Amino acid sequence: MRLLKEMKYSLHVAFHPFDGFWDLKYENKGKLRIALIILLAVTVTMILNRQYAGYVVNYNHPLELNSIDELKYIVLPFLLWCIANWSLTTLMDGEGKFKEIVIATGYAMLPLILVYLPNILLSNFITLRESSFYYLLESAAGLWFIWLLFIGTMTVHQYTVTKTIATMLLTVVVMGVIIFLGLLFFSLIQQIVSFAYTIYQELSLRA
Amino acid sequence: MKIKLSIVILTAAAMLIGIYPKPALASPYEGYTYSYWGEAVNSPIAYLPSKTVTGQEIGVGAWAAPSDMFAASDGNLYVLDSGNARIVVLNREWKAVREIKGFQNNGKEDGFNNPEGIFVTEAGHIYVADTDNRRVVELDGSGAFVREIGAPQSEVISSSFEYYPRKVIVDKAGRIYVVARGVFEGIIEFDGDGRFTGFMGTNRVQFDPVDLFWKTVSTKEQREKLIRFVPIEFNNADVDADGFIYTTTADKQSDTPVKRLNPSGIDVLRVNGNIGPIGDLSRERSAFIDIDVSGNGVYRTLDSTRGRIFTYNEDGNLLYVIGQMGNQRGTFKNPVAIESFDNRIFVLDRDLGRITEFAATEFGKLVNEANRLYSIGKHNDAAKLWEEVLRLDANYEMAYIGIGKSLLRQGEYKQAMTYLKLGNDREYYSKALTKYRREYMRDNFGLFMTGAIALLLAVMAARRFARTRKEGMGQDAVA
Repeated sequence: MRLLKEMKYSLHVAFHPFDGFWDLKYENKGKLRIALIILLAVTVTMILNRQYAGYVVNYNHPLELNSIDELKYIVLPFLLWCIANWSLTTLMDGEGKFKEIVIATGYAMLPLILVYLPNILLSNFITLRESSFYYLLESAAGLWFIWLLFIGTMTVHQYTVTKTIATMLLTVVVMGVIIFLGLLFFSLIQQIVSFAYTIYQELSLRA
Repeated sequence: MKIKLSIVILTAAAMLIGIYPKPALASPYEGYTYSYWGEAVNSPIAYLPSKTVTGQEIGVGAWAAPSDMFAASDGNLYVLDSGNARIVVLNREWKAVREIKGFQNNGKEDGFNNPEGIFVTEAGHIYVADTDNRRVVELDGSGAFVREIGAPQSEVISSSFEYYPRKVIVDKAGRIYVVARGVFEGIIEFDGDGRFTGFMGTNRVQFDPVDLFWKTVSTKEQREKLIRFVPIEFNNADVDADGFIYTTTADKQSDTPVKRLNPSGIDVLRVNGNIGPIGDLSRERSAFIDIDVSGNGVYRTLDSTRGRIFTYNEDGNLLYVIGQMGNQRGTFKNPVAIESFDNRIFVLDRDLGRITEFAATEFGKLVNEANRLYSIGKHNDAAKLWEEVLRLDANYEMAYIGIGKSLLRQGEYKQAMTYLKLGNDREYYSKALTKYRREYMRDNFGLFMTGAIALLLAVMAARRFARTRKEGMGQDAVA
C-alpha cells in the first residue's frame, strides 16, 4: 500500500514538477526504490518498444535485437549522468546529494513510460501516412523528460535557470570525459596485461 | 557379435556416404543476393555458363584484345576485334558469317585503328567508335562505308580538345550518342545528319567538405598540384526500346553509378528502397564498365572489380548476381562487355579473347518470367510464378512483395500484410493495413459501438457513485 502511494506520488511529480521536486527534496517524499523501479520500467519499455512497435514504424532488424543492449543505452547513461552531475555540482555549490540526484533523474524518466507504452499500442494500428503522430508523441515524451530533468536539477541543487542549463550541458561533457577516461584505463590495463604475459612467456620459454 | 558387426558396417557406410557426397551441379561461382537489410544471402544460381568461344575455335583467328560486342535483334553477335581492327559477325550457331576488315572510303582503302565501341541499328547499320582515328564510322549491313562523323565542331569546345570516341549508341530517331575519353561534360550528342548538337547528362561534381577544407588552407602552388574537382566521366552506355539512355560510371564513390537519361538528359532511373543499383554492398565497391538493357526495364551491369553481373529490374531491385573473376570456365580475367539475347547472356573477356555464354537455369527463367509479368502489371499471373520462385528460394524478397501486391488486389488484406511484411515493403504493407483496418472496423462496428457505450455508461456511473459518497462524507463531517 505504501509502495502504491509512492508510485502515485511519482505521477504527481510528472504533472506538477515545481511542487513535486520541492517536496521530493525537502519533505523526503522521494524514494530511491521508486527511482530504481522507474529505471527498470523504462528499460523494459524500451525493450518492448523495439520488439513490439508496429511494423510501419519499426525499422529494427529482428536478428539484431538484443535486450542486453538496452542496459548500454539506458542504465549506463543513467549512471553516467548521475555520477557526472554529482561530480560537477559538488564543485559548483550544488546542494544536492548523490541520492537526491539519482531520485530526481529517476522520477524525471517517468514520462517515457507514460507515453511510450500507449504509443507502442497505437503504432500497431497506424499506417505510414499517420506515422507522424507516432513520432510526434515520441518527441513529446523526450521533451517532457528533459523538462522534468531540468526542473529536477534546478530544485535539487537550488540553482538559477542559466546555471542549471550550463550545468546540464557541462554534465554531458563530463559524461564524455568519463567515457574517455574509462576507455583509456581499459586499454592501458590491456597493455599491462599483455606486457606481463609476454614477460611470463619469455621467461617460461627460456627456462 | 552380430550387432557389433552391423554397427561397424553401418558406420562405414555412413562414412562412405559422407566422404563421397552426391556430385552437385558444378558451378564456378555462388549465387547470392542482398536482403532488405543489406546482408548477402544465398540464392539459387540464375544463370550457368553454357559455352565459351574464342576466335580460333570459330576459325577466324585469335581475337586480340576485343573491346566490345553487340547482340543485334536478329540474333547475330557482332564482335569488335580491336587488336586486329576488324568486326567478326557470328550467327546463333556460333559460325562466323562475316568479317569486316576494311572498307572503301571515297575510293580509297580505309580501316579501323584500335576501335573500342560498336553498335548495330535495327536496320542493320553498323556504327563503330573508331577511337584512334578519332571518328565514328557508319557501315551498312553488307559492310560498305556509308559515312564518317568526326570530332564535334562548336564554339563551346576548346581548341585543345582531343576527341577519342570510346562507345557509340544510336537511338530510334537516328541521333548518335558518343562516350568519349576524357570528356567530363557528358555524352556527346549528334543529330541524324552527324551534326554536333550538345552534351547531355552531365555527371554532377562530387563535393567533399574535407577536400574543400584543404583547398582553402593550401597555398596557390599547392592548390595547382591538387586534383581538380571535375565531374566523373561516363564509361559506357546503352539505349532501351523507348529511347532512354542508360549510362555507367566506373567511379567507386558515386552513389549513382547507373543512370537512365531521358531525352533532355535528366536521370530518371527508378530506385525503390534505400539501396540503389550500386552492385556489391561491400567496402570495396563494384566498378561498372558496361551495361546491357534487356526488355521490360531489366538491365544488367558488368562489374570489373569482381567480374560479376548484377541484374536489376525497372524498380532498381536486384534480381540476381552471377559471374566471378577466376580461371575456371564461366569466370573472367578482364571482362569488358556484356550483351544478352533471349535467356542468354554473353560476356566478352578482353585478356582471354573469349566470349562466355550463360544460359538461364530454371530459377533464372522463373524470375525473368515472373518479373516480366510483374512489370507489365499482371500481378495475379506473376504471383503464381513467384510462388514457384519461393519454392526454390525462400529468401527471395521480391517474390513476397509480388504475391503481397497480388493479394492486395484480390482483397485478401490480412494475408497481403503477412507477405508484404516478409518482403519488407512498408509502403504497400501500409496500404494493405489501411484496407484491412477499415474492413475490420466495418465488420465489428456493432461490437465496438456496444463496448464504447458500455464503457461510457460505466464511467458515468462510477463518477456519480464517487460524488454521492463524497457528499455523504461531507455531510457526515458537517454532522
